[in-house]
Amino acid sequence: MSSVQSIIDALCEKALHPDRTVAESCKQAGKEAVGFYLYAPEELAYAAGFLPVGIWGGSTEIKLADRYLQGFCCSIMRADIEYGMRGTYNRLRAVMLPTVCDTLKCICENWKVAVPQVPIIPVVYPQNRTLPAGEEYLREEFSRVRRELEDLAGQSVSDAELEAAFAVYEAWREAMRAFTKVASTHPQTVHAKARHLIIKAGSFMDKAEHTREMIQLTRLLAELPEETCAVRAVATGLVGEPLGVLDSLRENDVAIVADDLAQESRQFRVPARAEGDALSKMVWRIADQKGCPFLYEPEKTRGQKLIDLVKENKADAVITLQMKFCDPDEFDYPIYKAELEAAGIPLLYLEVEQQMDSFGQIGTRIQSLAEMLL
Amino acid sequence: MYLGIDIGSSSSKAALLDDGKKILGTKIVNLGTGTKGVYEALENLYAEAGITRADVRYTVVTGYGRLLYKDADRQITEITCHARGMHFLMPQVRTVVDIGGQDSKVIRLDEDGTVRNFVMNEKCAAGTGRFLEVMARVLGCSIGELAVLAAQATEDVAISSVCTVFAESEVISQLSQGAHPNDVACGALRAVAKRVAGLCGRVGMEPEVAMSGGVALNATMVRILGEELGCDVTPAPDCQAVGAIGAALLAREFYRKANPVETA
Amino acid sequence: MESALTSKQLLAKLQEEHYAGAMQAKKEGKLVAWATSICPQELLETLDIDVVYPENHAAAIGARKDAPQFIANAEGKGYSADICSYARVNIGYTDIQFSEAENIPMPDLIFCCSNICNTALKWYENLAKLLHIPLVMFDMPFNHTFDIPEHSIRYMRGQIEHAIAQLVEITGKKFDYDKFGEVMKVSSDAALWWRRATDLGRNHPSPLNGFDMFNYMAMIVCARGKESTRDLFKLWHDEMAEKVRLGIGPWKEGEEKYRIMWDGIACWPHLSVTYKTLKKYGINMVTSTYPESWTIVYEKNDLDGMARAYSANYANRNLDYGTGNVIKLVRDFDLDGIVYHSNRSCKLMDFRQYEVQRRIEDATGVPSVVFDGDQTDPRVFSQAQYETRIQALVEMMEKNKIKKQRGDLK
Repeated sequence: MSSVQSIIDALCEKALHPDRTVAESCKQAGKEAVGFYLYAPEELAYAAGFLPVGIWGGSTEIKLADRYLQGFCCSIMRADIEYGMRGTYNRLRAVMLPTVCDTLKCICENWKVAVPQVPIIPVVYPQNRTLPAGEEYLREEFSRVRRELEDLAGQSVSDAELEAAFAVYEAWREAMRAFTKVASTHPQTVHAKARHLIIKAGSFMDKAEHTREMIQLTRLLAELPEETCAVRAVATGLVGEPLGVLDSLRENDVAIVADDLAQESRQFRVPARAEGDALSKMVWRIADQKGCPFLYEPEKTRGQKLIDLVKENKADAVITLQMKFCDPDEFDYPIYKAELEAAGIPLLYLEVEQQMDSFGQIGTRIQSLAEMLL
Repeated sequence: MYLGIDIGSSSSKAALLDDGKKILGTKIVNLGTGTKGVYEALENLYAEAGITRADVRYTVVTGYGRLLYKDADRQITEITCHARGMHFLMPQVRTVVDIGGQDSKVIRLDEDGTVRNFVMNEKCAAGTGRFLEVMARVLGCSIGELAVLAAQATEDVAISSVCTVFAESEVISQLSQGAHPNDVACGALRAVAKRVAGLCGRVGMEPEVAMSGGVALNATMVRILGEELGCDVTPAPDCQAVGAIGAALLAREFYRKANPVETA
Repeated sequence: MESALTSKQLLAKLQEEHYAGAMQAKKEGKLVAWATSICPQELLETLDIDVVYPENHAAAIGARKDAPQFIANAEGKGYSADICSYARVNIGYTDIQFSEAENIPMPDLIFCCSNICNTALKWYENLAKLLHIPLVMFDMPFNHTFDIPEHSIRYMRGQIEHAIAQLVEITGKKFDYDKFGEVMKVSSDAALWWRRATDLGRNHPSPLNGFDMFNYMAMIVCARGKESTRDLFKLWHDEMAEKVRLGIGPWKEGEEKYRIMWDGIACWPHLSVTYKTLKKYGINMVTSTYPESWTIVYEKNDLDGMARAYSANYANRNLDYGTGNVIKLVRDFDLDGIVYHSNRSCKLMDFRQYEVQRRIEDATGVPSVVFDGDQTDPRVFSQAQYETRIQALVEMMEKNKIKKQRGDLK
């Protein structure tokens, strides 16, 4: 029987080697992979017999992408174009990218030219997503994506297959929510870096397989005595990277006990509504997502959501992992910063890029936060 | 006796404190991390106080080079140390500005001297000592001379570029168009002051504002920063040693906490 | 008498009236809206809501070199120096509420359209939250296909209907569809005259100096639904048509040696130096992508046509469309070169620029340069870099001219 540590180690290993993991997952499931970033109708690709895998950039030297993008472009997207041009993504049958910010609009367009060997399927999410016209539009947009995936697969997707795929994803999301809850009481075993990698591994595995691992891990973890740490923090931003930041958190005994990261909880925190068919449920999951910088929300509830997360998880502080040049996140920051200040919650702002190699100053800031909260 | 060491990118500072929180001495050597600077500072300090290393009960090290120094009992960030040192020297201060060679920081203090909040410059060098170094190089002088030049300026030459590379070419073209080096030097100080003022805004500055670190010796810089902030800025006494003094105070605190009987 | 005014004088008068009128309206307790530049202002005009445009206001502040204090204010609140400087200036202004350059009343509602960028959406979201006022938001999905998809048009039309309901509730007025039809017609007419006027830049020499066009643009942004705007552009058109008849070029002194397109918005804080550097070499900017952006023309009372027209501006279209559009400009306006403004504020324009540049060069052989700048943040510009790039462009254009004369190049 697997121990907690061996499951964690195995998942971390998978997350650290996406290339190998994707190859193994494809082989095991007998499927071909389709890439996605941020939000994408993964269930459609899954139903069409593909293995959806995350393309979240990476820490690599940017050379080829300079042909298309200025240096002040978000480092995740620069890395994605770089990998695409370099051939790293040649295994993918297609990629689905959501048009939720100005940069992504341009990336979809450049992709057509820069990475012609991997077809791009842009997914235009409506910003007025709670209006009936917006819901109807998204349904039609998903239907278009479904047709493109069907063409790619050379077979049509039945409604039953889509329902089944949705069920796989919904089970995964439930397992992930259960895991993050238990992980928050075990901040040593599930330290910042392990937490990130365990979740990220799901990006490169068959979701059914990842769900099985997560259920077992959560069950074993719950049997262990609860643990303490110096600082319990809530992370917000795009991704919990680069890893150097997480190393620094661990060195200072700062744990991430809950998150509002695009790559992590925002992928699974919204449960499906009970009614409707799979397509409607997919549309409503977008309508019901709140406090996300990429989805229009005039009430801007992100600050309140962070305050709630702090309270629910007995956290001491919020850490902003600001991916440099990510406009939507940068616009939200001053608003929730003021709200957290008013609520008396300490906030640490860390500006990060994927291609960072020096973590000295970041380490100083994290250590200072820990000293401040002593 | 308690020892505080602050190893910066271009200088090393040390401070010695007794049980009654009296500062027995401070030493500054203009050699930073990775050099013999810190050992030189300690040697001088011990000699002057007439003590040996064995008399030191506890050592706290801080600054950019703190992680590489192995002889301390504990390492603490410069944020916490500057805050502690400043509160000890000037208890009325609520905002501390430190323009360092690599990093600039602004720290908000509570009434009891604890850190409420802090901000540091981002990766970009504008607003740090590095920017002044580049400007000094263009003007063919040292950072110290930059202050002397700026003090004699009759007007400001606006350096609007935030990017250090752009600012360099901007300054070269200003000079070639006949701008006086004094005025350019003054413009360089103002450019840094503007960036630091931005950090002050982000941290929610409150008076009084004081400056620590070597740049506080530059009276022109202190004046310009005050103009940009719209309030008085006071240089801390023994400004270069504020971080080391803070570290020494923390050393005393940690020791007393660990040995309550002996120090009661 | 009004007819005695030149178009330049009329422009100044209308601009002043626009800003003064909005201040007066606010004083009288009328509703004031803040809106994005290419929004369906027809709805607001129909309901007699006064509108001011923060983008235009920020540009005015930038041009009069008053931007730094507002930028510093916004950055002090935690806004990153990497986000759009119009947004930073405007957010700073909502706090300071006074500029030596130009003033606008604070809004009672916000009117936002995402066809120009998603950044506007984030910016206006923040305004609505900070000012506790209603936000009417039109989402115009980016068109990754050459044509505008049908489901996208249905979505936009649904939003127009929703917006009308929202506005009726906010104003407590009835929506007058007859007046709406009239406003639609005037707006289309004004857009048409804007297009006709700017199209005169095709003549040799061009009577139009593109930096003037940046100035006239203020009214197509701020008052497209007004008859006075239509009349202004007609007057401007007639003046330039007369210049064409007389063979008069863009400047009083100096001849038009090179004809270029300027891609992107102006560097407002460095307007004079960017203009004079070009003029020094006899370079006239005869067009840009902006004439087309405001050619919002559709049939009266055609809501689908209106939706399609608003969704169809350059910034909201795919690479193939953008490329085709610029190639057409190169040919129609007989361009010698292109200057691309890599504008730190505008990621949507920037991140397609390199590829567009390559395609245009391949298709037309017209040389081009890219320079770094910003629309309102004076810190992101280097005069030395700009000058060098322009000089390099002149050298390339000159070489092309010689080739052309030799017949090597058609």
